Amino acid sequence: MTELPLLTIILLAPLFGAVMIFTLPEERKDAIRWIAAGTTFVALILSLFLLFQFDRTAAGFQFIEKLDWVPALGIAWHLGIDGISTAMVLLTSFIIFTGVFVSFSIQKRVKEFFILLLLLVTGVYGVFMSLDLFFFYFFYELAVIPMFLLIGVWGSTNREYATMKLTLYLTFGAVIALVPILTVYAMSYKELGHYTFDMLQLAQVHFSDRAQIMLFLPLLIGFGTLVPMWPFHSWSPGGHAAAPSAVSMLHAGVLMKLGAYGIIRIMYLFPVGARYWMPLVAVLCMMNILYGGYVAMSRRDLKFMVGYSSSSHMGYVLLGLASLNIIGFNGAVLLMFAHGVMTGLAFALIGFLYDQTHTRLLPEWAGEYGYDSANAHDHSQKKYPELSGLAKQLPFVGFFFIATAMASSGLPGFANFVSEFMIIIGTFRAYPIQTMLAIFGVVITAVYYLRAIRAAFFGEIHPKWKTLRDPTTWIERLPFVTLLLVLMIVGFYPSILVNLIHSGSASILERMQGGGGTVTASLAAWTAGWLR
Amino acid sequence: MIESILRVFPEILVGLLGMAVLVCSPFAKKERNDLAYLSIGGMGLILLATLIWGPQREGIAFDRMVIIDSYTSFFRILFCLTAIIVMLMSIDYVKYFPSRQGEFYSLLIFATMGMMLLPASGNFLTLFLSLELLSISSYILAAFMRNHPKSVEAGLKYLIVGGLSTGTLLYGISFIYGLTGSTDFQTVTEWIVARGRIEPVLLVACFLILVGLFFKIASFPFHVWIPDVYEGAPTPVTAFLSVGSKGAGFAVLVRVLMNVMTPLKHEWVFLIALFAAATLLFGNLAAIPQTNIKRLLGYSSIGQAGYLLVGLAAGNHLGTSAILFYLLAYLFSNLAAFLVIVVFFRTTQSDEIDDYAGLSRRSPLLASALTLGLLSLAGVPPLAGFFGKFILLGAAVREGLLWLVYIGALCIVISLYYYLMVIKQMYMGEIKDPRPLTIAPSARWTLYACMIGIILIGIYPSPFLNMAMAASKILF
Repeated sequence: MTELPLLTIILLAPLFGAVMIFTLPEERKDAIRWIAAGTTFVALILSLFLLFQFDRTAAGFQFIEKLDWVPALGIAWHLGIDGISTAMVLLTSFIIFTGVFVSFSIQKRVKEFFILLLLLVTGVYGVFMSLDLFFFYFFYELAVIPMFLLIGVWGSTNREYATMKLTLYLTFGAVIALVPILTVYAMSYKELGHYTFDMLQLAQVHFSDRAQIMLFLPLLIGFGTLVPMWPFHSWSPGGHAAAPSAVSMLHAGVLMKLGAYGIIRIMYLFPVGARYWMPLVAVLCMMNILYGGYVAMSRRDLKFMVGYSSSSHMGYVLLGLASLNIIGFNGAVLLMFAHGVMTGLAFALIGFLYDQTHTRLLPEWAGEYGYDSANAHDHSQKKYPELSGLAKQLPFVGFFFIATAMASSGLPGFANFVSEFMIIIGTFRAYPIQTMLAIFGVVITAVYYLRAIRAAFFGEIHPKWKTLRDPTTWIERLPFVTLLLVLMIVGFYPSILVNLIHSGSASILERMQGGGGTVTASLAAWTAGWLR
Repeated sequence: MIESILRVFPEILVGLLGMAVLVCSPFAKKERNDLAYLSIGGMGLILLATLIWGPQREGIAFDRMVIIDSYTSFFRILFCLTAIIVMLMSIDYVKYFPSRQGEFYSLLIFATMGMMLLPASGNFLTLFLSLELLSISSYILAAFMRNHPKSVEAGLKYLIVGGLSTGTLLYGISFIYGLTGSTDFQTVTEWIVARGRIEPVLLVACFLILVGLFFKIASFPFHVWIPDVYEGAPTPVTAFLSVGSKGAGFAVLVRVLMNVMTPLKHEWVFLIALFAAATLLFGNLAAIPQTNIKRLLGYSSIGQAGYLLVGLAAGNHLGTSAILFYLLAYLFSNLAAFLVIVVFFRTTQSDEIDDYAGLSRRSPLLASALTLGLLSLAGVPPLAGFFGKFILLGAAVREGLLWLVYIGALCIVISLYYYLMVIKQMYMGEIKDPRPLTIAPSARWTLYACMIGIILIGIYPSPFLNMAMAASKILF
């Protein structure tokens, strides 16, 4: 079984789909859609296979494939996954598979849309699987341009501005990270006797403390832009809001995780640099959590709200990573997974609503007390009234949106609870003040989600919304059901992923000698017992 | 003597082809494109012959006036390819001046001969002669649309600036001759080494020579002629100048710096790095407000010269190979873009970026070719330009030029902005002019070839990189 290059197959399946779609005429919309669904389904099945086949007792990378690509420069097609990347590959597979089904409603330039969507996801898989820094960078950049076109052509609110800003920010992050990558490459000669981009070999090198500290900062800024870490976050909510549903899902669900994943990988390469700079991250991420949450509260556009909420949740991920502690670290990676699924679900629901209502606006807030029903009649004057009272008409959507909100605000039973809990436990010792503020952030999340639910789904329904249609066919329902099931399965049985993630993060934290010492060890033992 | 002649047989054949085209032009049927097929077929055969017999005949010719080595061979292939693609691009374009097709093609061929001889020069005299052959042909070509004021203006500006640069170059060479008593590269190098210390006059001479060559590659601040000449010249000529002429400039610059001026390396590395930084920043920033696509590509070509200078400033084997590799990538990317401009101009008579709005629905092929070309120029994977920029910057990092690499990296973002503005027009703009665009079969197949080149070099760069590395090995 190990003979099959599984990772390459997963990576190339969407690309293969894109090429097949390229050969089809534009008119055969259904064939195009089912090819996209089929190839992403193959990738999903194989990713699930990886999940169960992965040897959780062994640390390090598995399913390694290596093929010299540019031998003259030491570039190799080198794929492999550890526990962390397995979780991320699985997340990507879920999001793209459901994203394709969500995109079945797209009617405009279907062929180009699916080609670009599949290209985008190829880039994402590539980043999570590459063990070669060249291909890591290659795939990351590969994902940016399809995104530009997807948002610019199929997007909504202010799309041309948003997509340009997003593309430039992401490229900025990439090139800032490029220079240290090239520097590491240049340094590899002195240490190893040959030039290499191979992460596994570079990890063997003991770079001097000074070099690690100097290299870590630009890498942190580069990948932090993608996370998006405050103050490099401003591209993200606008991009989310402008993007078509499937792209918002991929973007918030997976692309932002590329940044966090990048940070994890550089922590692996430069443990000293990580210990030097991560306290800074622990401060900056507070801005994400609190400021992002605060802004989310003030948004009337649902997508903007979820967009800022995403940047707020990524703050928790950063906090967990900054704790340099196995529990917090595992929690952070689990939150990357949980938040990806949750936010994918949220954007799928909002997209479903927007397709019919052409609005995502919540009613004007009447002070602190939400929707003022006395003014409801004014809405009839507008072309598109605001969302209100939808739950009666759309019980299915209402149910799922409430479930999403519960997951997002960290209620038990969902994967988000487990991960946020782990982050808070793990971080408390290292950063007590931040942890307390972070707990406060959970309350903020609850505030804006509950207000959104009350405004959009309860109260009086506007007459215009009486004609709305709930998802009825299985194609329409499949994405919502799948994503919610994933959230709940992981919520009730977290060790299906936590063991996996642990096998990856343990080897990273081992390298941070003295990162927490005995405290880490005892807490690790404690968390292991708790998970069992 | 016979041996020498045999060594330069491709250049001689190119010269003969140019004359043949000129002789045949009164008898050729213009509407059947006879001359185009003669020139393209001839260049194709020469390219083939060079590929087959060129490497066997490497060596020194005419008393070191001409050096035929792997480096020369690489550029022979590169320039033959450029000439062929530009001629394919011209088939449609020469209809604007039907009676003078013969002159057009033969001038292109003579300019190509100059380009092929430039990297082969082993003596400042050969360098000067081949540079002049290239330049004078280019002046005429730039002014070829003699009824269009802009074209005449382009030719005149190019002539004046080019004359100035030639003068500077010659002045520098005269200093060298006065100091060393020779114009032979090897003798000059030996003289510098034997001297032991660096004469200030020598530095002045080298600086003058560099300035002369910087005009050719349009490095800041010697770039002023670029926008007007690029806008005014007939589009195939612009393409030829931006790929061929610039490539030839770099080919000879590398030869001079790595060959003659190696002993002075400490002096020129910093100078080149400064020029590279200024060129990068200026070219990319000045491209942002452009509304004419030919001017945009003109400024972008200044920016590209900045990247190539980064490789030159690195001054190591990887840097030089990266220059060669990047020129190859640049050839396909830039020519694809210019080809689209030529085809687009035939129907719409416009070079304004605003008129490209909605091109993706009027002609998906043209839009995707231009997109691929521009993205490759911007350095986006998996396209050829990406790998080129990656190794150019990588080579500079190896030499510790981190500040320069940071500037180069940031300029990628800037350049992406103005390239994306064009792509945005094509994919997101509203169609203003619904006329269908006709693409001649020759243009269509050339576009396919360029697109395949861009993608293939980007995805599997290894053989091309090995070729570039083997070609530049001889200089170290």
